[in-house]
Amino acid sequence: MTIQTQKQEKQLIVFLEGRLDTNSSPELEEYLKSRIDEIRELVFDFEHLEYISSAGLRVLLAAQKQMNRQGSMIVRNVSEPIREIFDVTGFCDILTIEA
Amino acid sequence: MNSSFVIPLEGRIDSNNASEVEKNIDQLRKGKESLPLILDASGLEYISSAGLRVLLHLKKTAPDMTITEVSSEVYDILDMTGFTEMMKVEKAFRQISIDGCEEIGRGANGSVYRIDQDNIVKVYRDSDALEEIRHEREVARLALILGIPTAISYDVVRVGDSYGSVFELLNATSFSKILAREPDRMDWVVKEYIELLRTIHGTIVPEGKLPDMKETVRSWVLFLKDYLPEDSWQKLLSLVEAVPEDHHMIHGDYHTKNVMVQNEEVLLIDMDTLAAGHPIFELASMYNAFIGFSELDPGVIVEFQGFDFATSRLFWDRVLAEYLGTAWEKRIRDVEDKARIIGYTRMIRRLIRRNGLHTEQGQKEIAYYKKELVKLLETTDTLLFAGAEFKTEAKKEHLPLVLAFIDQYLEGTDASSKTRNQMHLIAEEIFVNITEYAYREKPGDVILKMELSEDGMKARLTFMDQGIAYNPLEKEDPDLTLGAEERPIGGLGIYLTRKQADELSYEYKNGSNVLSVIKHL
Repeated sequence: MTIQTQKQEKQLIVFLEGRLDTNSSPELEEYLKSRIDEIRELVFDFEHLEYISSAGLRVLLAAQKQMNRQGSMIVRNVSEPIREIFDVTGFCDILTIEA
Repeated sequence: MNSSFVIPLEGRIDSNNASEVEKNIDQLRKGKESLPLILDASGLEYISSAGLRVLLHLKKTAPDMTITEVSSEVYDILDMTGFTEMMKVEKAFRQISIDGCEEIGRGANGSVYRIDQDNIVKVYRDSDALEEIRHEREVARLALILGIPTAISYDVVRVGDSYGSVFELLNATSFSKILAREPDRMDWVVKEYIELLRTIHGTIVPEGKLPDMKETVRSWVLFLKDYLPEDSWQKLLSLVEAVPEDHHMIHGDYHTKNVMVQNEEVLLIDMDTLAAGHPIFELASMYNAFIGFSELDPGVIVEFQGFDFATSRLFWDRVLAEYLGTAWEKRIRDVEDKARIIGYTRMIRRLIRRNGLHTEQGQKEIAYYKKELVKLLETTDTLLFAGAEFKTEAKKEHLPLVLAFIDQYLEGTDASSKTRNQMHLIAEEIFVNITEYAYREKPGDVILKMELSEDGMKARLTFMDQGIAYNPLEKEDPDLTLGAEERPIGGLGIYLTRKQADELSYEYKNGSNVLSVIKHL
């Protein structure tokens, strides 16, 4: 998985590419930890994310919980297989998903 | 041997005569110092520390000297004092006869005879076989240490002008004999034969301890350069080159004469071909043993194995189905074709080396195997395949290996990328669950077994671990109606697995958690 970000004042866009799984999720968690404290708007761009497992969902939920306290979080460009996982797990109701 | 100088040692060498013996030897060697020295110890009964000092002095001026025909008593002294490490010492060998003994096996390097009820001897074809015997003993010992049930020879003997190694095999019968005499035991033979094969192929060989089979196969391919059409040969070479390095053990001559059953225990023999490499190379030699050698003359198998060609075909098909975890004809023939490519490569080389180009029979055989090989090379693009079982340590960082195994196994099926993704998810969640819960106290292995239904449309994945008994299916579903704040972090893995699978079952059996998933492809 590769992580790329784009920061504009209080907004941070995180572009993920590849697989967000057991072995790559800790990397994302670590990455976010040091960067989102000052952020008001967190955006995940999943255009190039192919795969997500429960380990990835954990990181998203933790980020959502934090952003609920300090601003907002959006997930955009979600591909079909990942949208299915969000549907099955009820994450579609927890996350703000932009088509 | 002609250009060496032999001095006999006689009787006892001790403090009474040591200096005299030394003087005599020096006298005899005058002018012959440049020749390799051989001390013939066939007449030597005893050697004391004073005698050993004579040997030490001698070694200074004749560093390459060899002591031959050493009796067991003298050998023990030399061994205990470390002299066998310092100089070349060759034991005297007991002479035995194999007149009238039953030949129970025949391999690349020699034949195996039954001496009596409890002992067999493997007689080497090459008259200078001590090096081969040493090699076979060493690899057999290595295999035994690594957990492969095998027999180790306890003695080396002279058989006429050749050497033999003797094994104790109490009342042992080969699988070939069982198949020939008791065809209704085929189910049992297939099961045991595959179980042992999986044990061999699941064994990691410490680096450098065994020959690399890929190297050997590459040398066969290079040999064929001038005998195959250029494009076929190039394809063959690239197929072999693309086989990844593999440190798992292969036997190299795994046919039913080399598997013995002794008091219910299954034993592997004839270990000299032991190697490390990809299992396709094993299947290739198995194909040759059961089918390849007999393709043009079904009589060959009867002579070689004692059962007929129909039995051999049936056995091979069943073994392949069991090894691959499917009765799906397409998969079986597909993997068989890969095995045939390497099998025929070996066969053609063998025929050419045995003067086949210059006999009518040989030409006919070479033409047949060559035609088949060229045809196969047109339709085959990889030699890789996955057997039904994959074993790995339960460590998260091994997850990619698990997923790679699943992908390899699904090669050639109709599984869409979506289905593959779902199977990855199932496998990841279960594998991680095992590493985190079943083995939370002590580490262990996971065995992943895959099977395909007879029509190739349904896959079953079975995970087995020996960790703490735990049925993940009893876990309650998470409450999906909770908002982000109320939702606990985690606990979705098993739920996801349940949603992606078409069928799921769990049992605790013989100390193992067995979780089985069915997925429609």
